[in-house]
Amino acid sequence: MINIPIILIFIPVVTSILIYLFKWRHMNLIAFAAQLVMTVLAIHYYLYYRGAFELTHIVLGGWDARIGISLVNDELSMSFIFLTLFTWWMVIIYTYAFGKTKHTFLFFLFFLQGVFLGLLQSNDLFNLFVFFELTTIIVTILIAYKKVGESYRAAIYYLLLNTSGVLIFLLGIILIYFNFGTINMVEITQLMHTVEDTTLLRLSYLFMMGGISVKAALFPVFTWLPRAHGVAQSAISALLSGLIVKGGLYLFFRLNFLYEGAGFAYSDFFFYVGALTAIVGVMFALSQKDMKQILAYHTVSQVGIIMMGLSSVDEEVFFGGVMHTFNHAFFKSLLFLGAGMIIKVYRTRKVGDIRGVARTMPLVSIFMIVGMLSITGAPLFNGFISKSIIMYGFAETSVRYWILFAVNIGTATSFVKMAQIFFGPKTVSYPMRHLAQNTAMMMLALGCIILGNFYIPFTTGFFGIPFDTVGEFHIGHFFDYAVTVGIAYMIFRFIVAKDYRPIRLIREYQVSFETANYVFIVYLVALTTYFILI
Amino acid sequence: MNPILTFLVVLIGFYGLSTSTNIIKSVFSVTIIESGVILLFLNLGNFEPGSIPIINDETVMIVDPLPQALMITTIVIGSTVTAMALMLCIKVFHQYGTVEWKEILRREDIKS
Repeated sequence: MINIPIILIFIPVVTSILIYLFKWRHMNLIAFAAQLVMTVLAIHYYLYYRGAFELTHIVLGGWDARIGISLVNDELSMSFIFLTLFTWWMVIIYTYAFGKTKHTFLFFLFFLQGVFLGLLQSNDLFNLFVFFELTTIIVTILIAYKKVGESYRAAIYYLLLNTSGVLIFLLGIILIYFNFGTINMVEITQLMHTVEDTTLLRLSYLFMMGGISVKAALFPVFTWLPRAHGVAQSAISALLSGLIVKGGLYLFFRLNFLYEGAGFAYSDFFFYVGALTAIVGVMFALSQKDMKQILAYHTVSQVGIIMMGLSSVDEEVFFGGVMHTFNHAFFKSLLFLGAGMIIKVYRTRKVGDIRGVARTMPLVSIFMIVGMLSITGAPLFNGFISKSIIMYGFAETSVRYWILFAVNIGTATSFVKMAQIFFGPKTVSYPMRHLAQNTAMMMLALGCIILGNFYIPFTTGFFGIPFDTVGEFHIGHFFDYAVTVGIAYMIFRFIVAKDYRPIRLIREYQVSFETANYVFIVYLVALTTYFILI
Repeated sequence: MNPILTFLVVLIGFYGLSTSTNIIKSVFSVTIIESGVILLFLNLGNFEPGSIPIINDETVMIVDPLPQALMITTIVIGSTVTAMALMLCIKVFHQYGTVEWKEILRREDIKS
């Protein structure tokens, strides 16, 4: 029973190797079987250890706990494990036809799952680094999988920028080891308040946060994300936006728990980083015309919103941020998968050229509309719940509230623009033979609706907070939403649709690789300065 | 060797990353950062007069073996990253005919 975390890491790895070695025609069925076994094991494990997660700490190979490889789980990591399993289910169902012949694709896809589960459960800092770097390498391969010029360019941009970020993260680990003589996170948490001279500890904290910021695509260093997520295959984009970006955010709060004893006042800095991420992401998204680029920039802005929640010291707002990671995984995967179908049928990615989706693909457009309503925060859908929790946390008159409100209007405007694809006459023919894809999208859409209405069992089970203060059936919320969409429509009609010169300039603005690294250094310096001043 | 000096190696790598316009030079810069990090960790685990960390005789002082074990792993990962980055360089060169970041962007604009 206690060894289930190890099994969870090794099942996908072994399965992927089997798939690659025996390239039989129906090899992808093994993937489904493995996925089923993993889901059953994870549920069993969760039910067995519920309420007593401190017992799950294991050290591999009988080494000393201070230096050995160790794994541990808690409610948060379990919730992320379930999210991982669910997202992978959706992706392998969606790519059923594709995976039947493309064994290398399934190999990397499944390997990534094992590595990501390792990242979630790892308890020693060095393995965290190893899994972190492994996800970078495998994601690079998946981005480049399309084998066209721009995917290679995006892949190498991603690889080099993220590797430099991860190496900075390693510098932080080194300083921690130098301070405590151990890399076990449970032990470091207990030792944290004993440190008297916190200079090196501060340095390690900001190195780690700097490294994570690159992975989580925070404001100055998000430039890799739109390229990478824009050029990858739709299923991969869904996976990357829905889950892999969350790996960075997961480490963000894991490490903040780690440093809790040292009492660093980071909250304001990361709040404003999050706010800038959200605003800049929305601005870029508004200017784009490419459908996948719009969705990719919205990932940036949603990461900003999540960051605004996670950086809070208030527990409810914090868990609002955690919940938004979940909800974002659902609706953003749904939107990317739906966009993938539309792009495949219309053979173009320009929003302006796609018309009449509602007539051509009624089912897909229903799913897309569910996703859009969720991301813009319509009541009864899941995006609304977490956004409201974060918003209630900020006082109604404060600057923070209005920043979130502005971001919300920007998001709504951008999706009003994207909703133009539904109207118009039927222009292309569409054969109704996409059972696997439709099943995956239907599950995600149902997930959006279920999490939007019956979220209380989930939140009490995993976070211990019911959040029943969010009155979802209040009629005023519908009114608020209608006003938001109204303002968004006006902005779209009179500003965005006119395509003024500044908007064009933003669209054509490209951050080169050197600049991205330069900005990364500036960001590290800003972090250092902030921590010196505090 | 002084830890500050090894940190300087990291900074040299970052200088390379933020100024070089060539993909291959960027790859080398990442490698330099990595070497700096590895040297720094080995440095912190080392002390005089430490012997190699093989216990034959309990009375001999040995250096801390953990940094060396961890850095072996880092070197392995680093070589993987370098190999992959260079492979991607070749692919980029086949697609665009150049490995300059700016030139690639320009050619992409012409294509689209």
